[in-house]
Amino acid sequence: MTMNESAAGTPIIEMRHITKRFPGIVANDDISLSINKGEIFALLGENGAGKSTLMSILFGMYEPDAGEIYIRGEKVRISSPNQATKLNIGMVHQHFKLVSNFTVTENIVLGLEPKKRLGGILPVVDIKGTDGKIAALSEKYGLEVDPRAKIEDLTVSVQQRVEILKMLYREAEIMIFDEPTAMLTPQEIESLLGVIRSLRDAGKTIILITHKLEEIKQVADRCAVLCRGKLVATCDVAATSTHQMAYMMVGREVSNEMEKEPPHFGREVLQVEHLTVKNANGFPVVKDVSFSIREGEIFAVAGVSGNGQDELADAIAGMADAAAGTIRLDGEDITRASVRQRNEAGMAYIPADRQNTGMIMDFTLAENLLLKSYYRPPYCVRGRLHREAFGRKSQELIGAYDIRSGQGADTVVRSMSGGNQQKAIVARELDQQGKLTIFVQPTRGLDIGAIENIHRQILAERAKGRAILLISLELDEVMKLADTIGVIFSGQLLKTAPVQNLTVNQVGNYMMGVTT
Amino acid sequence: MKKNSMKKAFLAVMGSEKRQNITIPLLEVLLGLIAGTIIFLILGKNPIEAFAAFLQGCGLFPKENYAGGRGMFTDFLSYLDNWTPMIFAALAVAVAFKAGLFNIGVSGQMLLSGFIATITVGYSPLPAVVAKPLVILIGVVVGALLGGLIGYLKHRFNINEVVSAIMINYILQYLLSFFILSFYTNPITRQSNVVSDASRLTLQDVMIGDYKTVIPLGFLLALVAVAVMHYFINFTKFGYELKAVGFNGRASRYAGINVRRTIMKAMMTSGALAGLAGVTYYLGYLGSIQPRVLADLGYDSIAVSLLGNANPIGIVFSSFLITVISKGSTYMSSAVSVDQEIGSVITGLMLLFAACGAFVRYKLHMARVSVEEEAREAGKAGKGGDEK
Amino acid sequence: MSTIIIDGMAFAMPLFIIAVGGIYSERSGVTNLALEGFLGAGGFFGALFVACTSSLFAASSQLPMYLSLLVAMVGGGLYALLHAVLCIKFKANQVISGVVVNIIAMALTDFLTSQINTSVFGASSDRFVLSVSSRFTVPVLSSIPVLGGFFTNVYPFEVIILLVALAAYYLLYKTTFGMRLRACGDNPSAVDAAGGDVAGIRYIAVMLSGALSGLGGMCFAYSIFANYSSSIYVGYGYLAIAAMIFGNWKILPTFWACVLFGFARSGGYRLVQVLGMPSTYSDLIMILPYLLTLLLLVFFSKNNRSPRALGEIYDKGKR
Repeated sequence: MTMNESAAGTPIIEMRHITKRFPGIVANDDISLSINKGEIFALLGENGAGKSTLMSILFGMYEPDAGEIYIRGEKVRISSPNQATKLNIGMVHQHFKLVSNFTVTENIVLGLEPKKRLGGILPVVDIKGTDGKIAALSEKYGLEVDPRAKIEDLTVSVQQRVEILKMLYREAEIMIFDEPTAMLTPQEIESLLGVIRSLRDAGKTIILITHKLEEIKQVADRCAVLCRGKLVATCDVAATSTHQMAYMMVGREVSNEMEKEPPHFGREVLQVEHLTVKNANGFPVVKDVSFSIREGEIFAVAGVSGNGQDELADAIAGMADAAAGTIRLDGEDITRASVRQRNEAGMAYIPADRQNTGMIMDFTLAENLLLKSYYRPPYCVRGRLHREAFGRKSQELIGAYDIRSGQGADTVVRSMSGGNQQKAIVARELDQQGKLTIFVQPTRGLDIGAIENIHRQILAERAKGRAILLISLELDEVMKLADTIGVIFSGQLLKTAPVQNLTVNQVGNYMMGVTT
Repeated sequence: MKKNSMKKAFLAVMGSEKRQNITIPLLEVLLGLIAGTIIFLILGKNPIEAFAAFLQGCGLFPKENYAGGRGMFTDFLSYLDNWTPMIFAALAVAVAFKAGLFNIGVSGQMLLSGFIATITVGYSPLPAVVAKPLVILIGVVVGALLGGLIGYLKHRFNINEVVSAIMINYILQYLLSFFILSFYTNPITRQSNVVSDASRLTLQDVMIGDYKTVIPLGFLLALVAVAVMHYFINFTKFGYELKAVGFNGRASRYAGINVRRTIMKAMMTSGALAGLAGVTYYLGYLGSIQPRVLADLGYDSIAVSLLGNANPIGIVFSSFLITVISKGSTYMSSAVSVDQEIGSVITGLMLLFAACGAFVRYKLHMARVSVEEEAREAGKAGKGGDEK
Repeated sequence: MSTIIIDGMAFAMPLFIIAVGGIYSERSGVTNLALEGFLGAGGFFGALFVACTSSLFAASSQLPMYLSLLVAMVGGGLYALLHAVLCIKFKANQVISGVVVNIIAMALTDFLTSQINTSVFGASSDRFVLSVSSRFTVPVLSSIPVLGGFFTNVYPFEVIILLVALAAYYLLYKTTFGMRLRACGDNPSAVDAAGGDVAGIRYIAVMLSGALSGLGGMCFAYSIFANYSSSIYVGYGYLAIAAMIFGNWKILPTFWACVLFGFARSGGYRLVQVLGMPSTYSDLIMILPYLLTLLLLVFFSKNNRSPRALGEIYDKGKR
């Protein structure tokens, strides 16, 4: 399986027979890779295929249970990120490792702080004196950022630039990017890929972890495909079709197409008028938003993470107060209604945060499946819970939605897989037979099969004439499912239009606040 | 390999996840007793004698001789008298725990309800049939109101309930001390006035056979409270909501549970139980209200609740044990001449081990996963098909 | 007026340094309700040192006091290790751990004080007797009207606390260690990825918290109590937590909160004196700091932002 590595002399990275186990799972199973200096090497695989684990091993976050690593031909043991840094390895993690109340410069120098002596005696960290150096570095690589800005005030893509600058400041030669495009707009992705190319041209070696085939096609030289912890193949990107790559990644034929029936819109179910929502500090995060959703319509909100989507969903579901405006469900004003009243009026909500919002992780599957109806007969009569009724209902849902778990209805949800947790939430919410269903990032972190499954369910709901509010950070998903798209930027709906009237690039522009 | 057999042995002893609810607290108690043994040995005392003295002090083990009209049974009923408020207090802590709240203000709630019941009923000429139920009612109401205040400060102003409860404890301690010393103290003996026998929840000087004993009426009530709380927590809507809020407030809100109301209900229930502890302590066990001090029992109840896994049934056992230590320490102190504060030290050490309970549980879970994994791999290698 | 300032500052300074201890722990991400236990344990070690060495020094010597402050810091730091181990190594619930650590401190110091008095010094007593620290007055400055009170009858430990606080300020805000400590309280994984040792930093932070609380506790023992006994546990550790919350987990604002507490307390006592109320009324005055704390918490708790990673158990191997 090893390819033409001899051409470029000694590979800069060689990983041999790496195995890493976690309790209950073999994350990496005997993986061998070699990467050449100055190439962009992609690591392709589904969620849970072991890509991030493998790179965390290279970056010293985990030690492998077996296997060897050679850097520039020398055998090394990387037991900490410190050592990785010394070997000129840097990494941009999927969840940024940034301190929110520190400035850009403070974040960049953290761990490698420049010092000066105060009055010639007391050593102090020299932040002011480093701002200039950071500014110069950011200019050199076209990574525009204000060294004195606080992280919490920056957008996701600027924060990512800070992460890249962190690597450059540490003089990294090998740069690992873990799913760097997941939260970006098409235009931001374009510019990031440009930066990655120019880093390669400056002699850096780039490792790109991703599950997006188009990106690999665009920038990568070679690509390794991982599936369930095993290395499937290493291939030349130019010589391999995306179809082949997809097949290797999933291990079966993938049908990318899904039939979407022509829409049959009915009357308006949800009407949101001039809705404003404020955050805990009193700043408006949703500003004067108006839209409506009809029966049989999928209204998708597109936008970059952190532009008010979560607050919008929370306000409609009753978990956040509306500072101004009205929300009507089936013509009835529910602006001040409680969460329970909205549930009973026919609203179902699949929240973005499965583990902290959608479920109580220490409850059993049965208790979670009845989370919205536990208080009603037959589950509860005069304050007393009926376990048999709980059991019957949950068996029904477990069967209908194919929810798998160790001990059936009595399994504590914490011990279930993410995909099955999501299935349980979807089962509970769709079973409400509501008029409106809110989906927020319903496919985040799921593998391709599960994503298809969820997409089918959303379309099936639409076919039944339900109104659907879909909030997603995945533009592909929005374009694929939506009947109407609303683009949110900085809390405002900048554009609302039928999907056929918008191109991906137009949506991307609106997502960045460009309205012309 | 050897390490793994150790793991297996430990796992086998600790049992399944359900059985660990019993085995882990037992382990904690055992470690506490071992630590106590070591302390006694360091002090040059015979630990067996010392522990026996704890039991003797509670009427659970015969002393060598008794004063006239007294016997082991006398000591035992007096022990029950002391155990009663402990059960209530520990239930109070446990109910709050279930809702994710830490009611460290039990001793303050005890003091206030005891004080109010004392000055309204205890110093009144009301007959027993009216006075006793009234005392209980006052305990419940006053405790619930004070507990509710802490709950209100928590959800309305986001004040950490531990900090607010401690502040309220001190405020009550000094405020009530002022009232007791100013108005309800005998100027000659400098002791606070004793409550009327009619209002007292423990019958005094009852002759049973040849022994002069006390009858703690509250003890039956405490057992009823255990059963009621067990039912409420495990089989009702209220218990479901309580636990949901305790595990995850945001998800509870998502489920349509009124988190605010649930917190209030939890703290009021907790306060009511603490109030019962207060009246059974001050108007039962002691017979008079005490200025300047908060009952140690209020703090010991935290240990009881942690050791009992915040489970009402578990609390019966853990409160039995902790009360033996606190009540028996007086006799132990005179019998083996060690300072009686060692009782609190042993309780504290058990508490220390109890704080690590979650860690032990987690380690056991990890050990089980890795042992199971090994078994599966061994099964695969040997083509054995006996794995499920 | 100057009595209010003198007594107010004598109370505020120890409270302040305890609160700084709280800041160290919580800014590193470890919830700390254990300040009360730390100050008691630190004070115990300091007082024990004085009791053991009293025959070596002249009765009027102030040296034992200075040394005892040092011993209290070391002792408090070591005792704090208990909270650190429970929270970091054993991943215990940090609120529970804090309360447990307090309860153990009370039980253990109470027991040991009596036991040591009986078995070592042959006297049955539940306290170690300390002298009250001597005081000094700065000439010239003390004669400034009103503000002169800040320079009159000052306990030497107030100056020591001021110096320690300055050092603590420097360490937290100006050095590599302090920067990493603050980062741990916001996003520990950032520190981890940058090669910092999150657990190590937190251990040190909690131990420093214990050392500073121990210093504060010893100062209380040498001033308002004039001895060491279980009566040192009067909730000042919790007052310090409240001061830290008003101070938004920052050193300077916390200082002002402590000064406010101090003046409220001394002002109250002065009021009793001036109005000539009977001594039972001092019980009512004792309520003031607690009541003020509760009221201030009502106004400040909602808006103040605690460190983002506070109370979260950081698990390096988490996937």
